[in-house]
Amino acid sequence: MIEQYLVAALGSSAVTAVLALSVHRVSRAKAMRQPRVEAGVRIDMLSETNAQQSALIDQQNQQTQELEATLAQLRDDLANQVESNEEIRVSLDAAVEVREQLAQHADRIAAEALRLKSLGATFERWHEQMISLMTQNKDMHAKNQELSSIVRHVVIVSLNASIEAARAGQAGRGFAVVASEVRALAARSEELSKSYRDSLDISDLTTTATFQDIQAGGKMITASLASVEALANQFQSKLHQAST
Amino acid sequence: MISSHAKDSFERIFRKAAQSRLALDSGDACDITPLGQGETGASLAGDVVVLTISSIVFRLILVIHFDEDASTRDYFARNAAERPFQEVFLEICNLCCGAMNQELLRYFPDLGMSTPYVLHARCVSHLEELKPGYLSSHAITINGSVHLAATVCVCAYAPIDFIADVSTVEETSGELEFF
Amino acid sequence: MAKILVVDDSSTVRDEVAGFLRKNGLDVDTAVDGKDGLSKLKMSPGIKLVISDVNMPNMDGLTMVEKIRGELANNAVNVVMLTTESSPAMKERGKAAGVKGWIVKPFKGDAVLEAFRKMAS
Repeated sequence: MIEQYLVAALGSSAVTAVLALSVHRVSRAKAMRQPRVEAGVRIDMLSETNAQQSALIDQQNQQTQELEATLAQLRDDLANQVESNEEIRVSLDAAVEVREQLAQHADRIAAEALRLKSLGATFERWHEQMISLMTQNKDMHAKNQELSSIVRHVVIVSLNASIEAARAGQAGRGFAVVASEVRALAARSEELSKSYRDSLDISDLTTTATFQDIQAGGKMITASLASVEALANQFQSKLHQAST
Repeated sequence: MISSHAKDSFERIFRKAAQSRLALDSGDACDITPLGQGETGASLAGDVVVLTISSIVFRLILVIHFDEDASTRDYFARNAAERPFQEVFLEICNLCCGAMNQELLRYFPDLGMSTPYVLHARCVSHLEELKPGYLSSHAITINGSVHLAATVCVCAYAPIDFIADVSTVEETSGELEFF
Repeated sequence: MAKILVVDDSSTVRDEVAGFLRKNGLDVDTAVDGKDGLSKLKMSPGIKLVISDVNMPNMDGLTMVEKIRGELANNAVNVVMLTTESSPAMKERGKAAGVKGWIVKPFKGDAVLEAFRKMAS
């Protein structure tokens, strides 16, 4: 009987053991399944996170690439800018140089205009010379006048001579001839004197007209030159101002 | 070389200047009548005042005849008892020519005017010697008693054509233009 | 001491303008051309206003003004031109030389008396 009992006990303990084992296994499997599930979840989560992070990394890589591309572009632009700045600087220097030359040119024009303006002084000289010409003319008029009066006097004297000659009768005949020749000469002198007076009048008119034309023309030129000088000075000061 | 428009214009400009400047007061009557060809120099004995306006294309000679008789002398020297008649009269002729100068400046940019000079009236008969393109004379009577005459002689060196508008009322002379 | 200087080569104009101003209580001196005007101005520092013609022998009015501002370094004195000239070119030159005003002859005293009085005070 003990043997049966022992066998039964062994058998039940074996069964129990097996049961326990299977329960153990089941629960272990369950238990193992849990972490496995959890692990699976975790793995899934990690995979997702991983994927997200990969995506982020990709994004960032892409951004980095874009930034690098932009940086490269900026470097190029900078290089171009520096180059064009150089060109601008060169043109600016050239322009400054040109402006310098223009300013010098403007200085020369202003100086010339000033010099031309002083030519107005020659009109003063011509003025004086013309006055002296007119005075000369007046002088000739006066002398001609005197000649005229002398001639008239000669006519009177010759008339008187004719009268005396007539009084002297025969003896005065030769004298009468001379007296009448003198009268004829006097008449011709009178004519000449009148014609000379006409010439003097024409000379007076032309001299006066020429003198006045020179005087008036001179003023016209002086006014234009002064206007040129004013313009030249304005131009000159504008160019010099721009450099300060 | 001087167009008929230009001739009329010179005439108008002369009339306006003579009217406004030869009379001492604006209230005085100033009659201007044209003189024929032969009447120019012979109309007055006495003297003339000669002035010239020069431009690049022409010169204009203004000749004003006067006879220094009592009525002329009394009229012009009336405001200026101490001043010699000729000086006063020369200044008036200067103003008259100046007025013509101002009008002409509107059509010819560069003009110059001479100072006046006195010659004998006989000279006027020789104006033809200067070969003028325009020559015209007028008798001027102020207040019925002062007798003057004026001759305008223009010599052209290039064709001249312009139309003067003298209708603009005077104007700025005598007034101070501030800069 | 004179406050106003009238410069003109015509004694008619000098007498007319100076006479009118004196009649109105102003103290006036005169000069016969640009050179004379300069020396009179140098000698009388009290002059506040110069009234001058343009066309004069020896030295014209505008040259005189340029020398007043230049050699004499006098920028205080007021200068008014009284002349038959009215061309814009000439007025420009006057303006550039420091001229304060321009009157075209004939002289009309009443129109300018007040302005002259102000400039001479």
